Amino acid sequence: MNHDGLSRMTKIEVVVTGADAPAVRELFASAGATGFTSLSGVSGLGHHGFHQGRLLFNDQAALELLITVVGEEKVDTLLAGLRPLLAESSGVMFVSDTYVSRPEYFA
Amino acid sequence: MAPESAPARARIRSEVNLAARFLVPLWPIETFIAVNPLGGLEDRPFAQALALAGELLGARGTLPESEFRALHARGRITEQDLLGALARRGLAGVAEERLALGERALTGAQLLLYDLLHGAPAPAPARANLMSSERRAAHVADAVDAQSAKWCAAFLDAGQARWRMPGREQGFYAAWRRLAWRDRTLPGAVRRALRELPQSPEDALLGALASLEVPREGVREQLQAHLARMPGWASHVRWRGEHVGDFDLASYLAMRLSYEAQLLAHSDAVAHGERDVPEACSPAAGGGGAGGQEPSSYERALHIAGGLGLAGETRVAQLVGAAALLEQLPVRERAVVWLEAYEGHYRDELVAQLQRPARPARSARPAAQLVCCIDARSEGLRRHLEGLGEYDTLGFAGFFAVAIRYRDLAGGAPSALCPVLLSPGNEISESPRAGAEREAARALAGRAALAGAEEGFHVAKDDMLAPFALAEASGWLAAPLAAGRTLAPGRFGSLRAALSRRAVPAAPTVLSVREGFSFQERALFGEVALTMMGLTGGFAPLVVLCGHGASTENNPYEAALDCGACGGNRGAPNARVAAAILNGPDVRDHLRTKGIEIPHDTWFLAAEHDTATDTVELLDAELVPEARRGALAALGEDLREAGARLSAERCAILPGAPAPSSSAQASRHVHARSSDWSQVFPEWGLAGNAAFIVGPRAITEGLDLGRRAFLHSYDATVDHDGAALETILTAPLVVAQWINCQYYFSSVEPAVLGAGTKTIHNVVGAIGVLAGHNGDLQLGLPWQSLADGERLVHEPMRLLALVQAPLARIDELIARNTILQRLFGNGWVALAARERSEEPWLRHTDHGWQPWLTTPEGTQ
Repeated sequence: MNHDGLSRMTKIEVVVTGADAPAVRELFASAGATGFTSLSGVSGLGHHGFHQGRLLFNDQAALELLITVVGEEKVDTLLAGLRPLLAESSGVMFVSDTYVSRPEYFA
Repeated sequence: MAPESAPARARIRSEVNLAARFLVPLWPIETFIAVNPLGGLEDRPFAQALALAGELLGARGTLPESEFRALHARGRITEQDLLGALARRGLAGVAEERLALGERALTGAQLLLYDLLHGAPAPAPARANLMSSERRAAHVADAVDAQSAKWCAAFLDAGQARWRMPGREQGFYAAWRRLAWRDRTLPGAVRRALRELPQSPEDALLGALASLEVPREGVREQLQAHLARMPGWASHVRWRGEHVGDFDLASYLAMRLSYEAQLLAHSDAVAHGERDVPEACSPAAGGGGAGGQEPSSYERALHIAGGLGLAGETRVAQLVGAAALLEQLPVRERAVVWLEAYEGHYRDELVAQLQRPARPARSARPAAQLVCCIDARSEGLRRHLEGLGEYDTLGFAGFFAVAIRYRDLAGGAPSALCPVLLSPGNEISESPRAGAEREAARALAGRAALAGAEEGFHVAKDDMLAPFALAEASGWLAAPLAAGRTLAPGRFGSLRAALSRRAVPAAPTVLSVREGFSFQERALFGEVALTMMGLTGGFAPLVVLCGHGASTENNPYEAALDCGACGGNRGAPNARVAAAILNGPDVRDHLRTKGIEIPHDTWFLAAEHDTATDTVELLDAELVPEARRGALAALGEDLREAGARLSAERCAILPGAPAPSSSAQASRHVHARSSDWSQVFPEWGLAGNAAFIVGPRAITEGLDLGRRAFLHSYDATVDHDGAALETILTAPLVVAQWINCQYYFSSVEPAVLGAGTKTIHNVVGAIGVLAGHNGDLQLGLPWQSLADGERLVHEPMRLLALVQAPLARIDELIARNTILQRLFGNGWVALAARERSEEPWLRHTDHGWQPWLTTPEGTQ
């Protein structure tokens, strides 16, 4: 459990277009995630070719990275909501273990 | 009802979001934002999106064929236009085929043209995806709609109602669940069931779907059927869920499906196996009444033979041959061919106009430069001003690249003054200029007094008893005032403006530009804005940044006439911020290091163009250096004259406007019109918009584009990495396309995608309008923004973007931006380009850049 005194939790990272980001944020909230971090204007190369990063005057068309950290008990709920959404979007999701120093912030 | 598992709730929430993708958020009417009502379908080719919109919404996607045929009869669409459209669809070879009906020899082109002109019309679209209750008991579907509209209006009320829905702070579902079972108009069994609804909307939704016996694979369809039944409310709730968060689509659908499940379960008619679905609405009848059978190709061939008087002599084999040819153009796609011909006619003329040498560069320094919003209405003002002297004009998005949250002198809630594609990043507030605190206080006191008087009047009017006292106290004044506003709106407007000036004197103010923007932000803004508009040298002594807004009375759609790039607000604050930044010595020092040398004697000045009155107010004029005052006075005079000439031009098409004998008379008329509270046509807004031109003004200067083109200045030679063009194509073009599609779909389908007639509109909750006293929230623009009586003034055509830039650069930008691939690749926007003004325009196609064909036979 401990890793240099840290607590293990699950990190879920989702990359979707800005237009789909509200649906992901809504899922985070409804599944009981206590917060999230978002980074708009991410760029990269993927299944559908190169995606442009930050667009100066359009946040919706650019890709957005949303990150949340939750306890084990909420992971299945989040994945149950995110998987159908991503199955019909050009987005991607990464699920990984992570370690935090203040687990109560994410409970 | 047992609570569902958390993963099941998450899954249904996702399903709701996926089902709702075809809807786009509907903004509150106070900040009306033009959007493409079919924006959720832009990932499909245009024709496919129209077909799907027909199935989901029962919405027509083009003008009816009968209307196109009437346009052909009037010469607005020619046979050449139709042949060009057929050729662009890859039917040139089919058109050249030869066949015979009886003894008459025909070409494929003649056959297709006859079918387009005289063929039996395609059936009108009808909703194919129906709610359970629509299939089983229409009165239940109506009851679900009535309940939904009632509770949405109650929850979303912004203070107009005398009774406020209790428990709103808990969110919609909780507040509705607390009250819904108390509704005594419902059967007792339904009320008892509603009382037992679970706490979570997801559980209620899952329970209702189970009760309705919707199979898992049919859930998406059912949810979409409910969303599409009242797309106005659903679209606004989508906006609410994303921007406020107290009412989302899961809650909305939980309410609707709970009513449906319980009303169906306890409906006497349904219980006894009776169906009250009208035949025309039953799925068996073609899914929604309007339907009907599409004629087969053979029937079409037979119809043509009959029409040509050849029915008796035409052999079956000839009919089969003709039918095979007609098969290449299915009936349901004929309207899109008509649309392409309709667009082609306008576009060919526009391209021909633009196929000319650019205006030679001016040798002398211009007296002033006026930077206007790209809004198509600016084109008229620019054209008239340029005709009056040594003026250069430019086009740029009217928020002038400053995305701000703005709080005016009175304080209160800030407004987001930027395109809705962006979140405002900088806070700006207005405060009295040093030494003008007393004037500002008087202005604020006057404004508060006027607002208080108005509020008091309305409160008294709405009260049970106060109206009697109010009539006694103020009736002697109110009646003449109402008569004055109605009979002499011009004089009344002048009087009111004079009174307002006395009560609320103008107070010099400043904006918190230095507090709101860091130096780095201001420096970046200056570089980006000037590079984007191609203004990196040759600065005039006065550079006017001119925002816009519209002054109208008694007009719920006022925001639709204001600046779309400023989030449906007036643009003066953005212009003031931008001018202040560009006058900053530190910013100019930075720009110099980037090769942008702004002369010491150049002054940036803000202004605002009132598009209803054609007046331009110069702002912060007292800050203009003494040496520029003479030029400023001359510019002010020329702007007055340009505005008056523009008024005369607009009077020619404003319903009921007199034929003015002078530009001054025209100016008086538009002023009177703008303050007339009974005027349903204060101005035509962006009606007519059809093109978006990106390039130097030299390629359009001197042409009368009829206020139909968005004009964005751009100089590819100063945009070394293409970043400016990428910004133009991914933001201003997108906003222009939303506006274009809003006008388009409101025109072709006013009942479903527009807002119908203003004459029966009722404003509800400051969020939108209803047609009548209940029903769905209206989605688009009112008919009076598009048409005069039965005659459409707006020509519903998709946007044509003309870009003067290197083709390789455009290709590269399209390749890396999905949004551009969708718009250009799926036919929502047509694209033409050329690298230099002496080159011919090329059409962007699936097969690369092709010459702009003006006829099927030849190229330009």
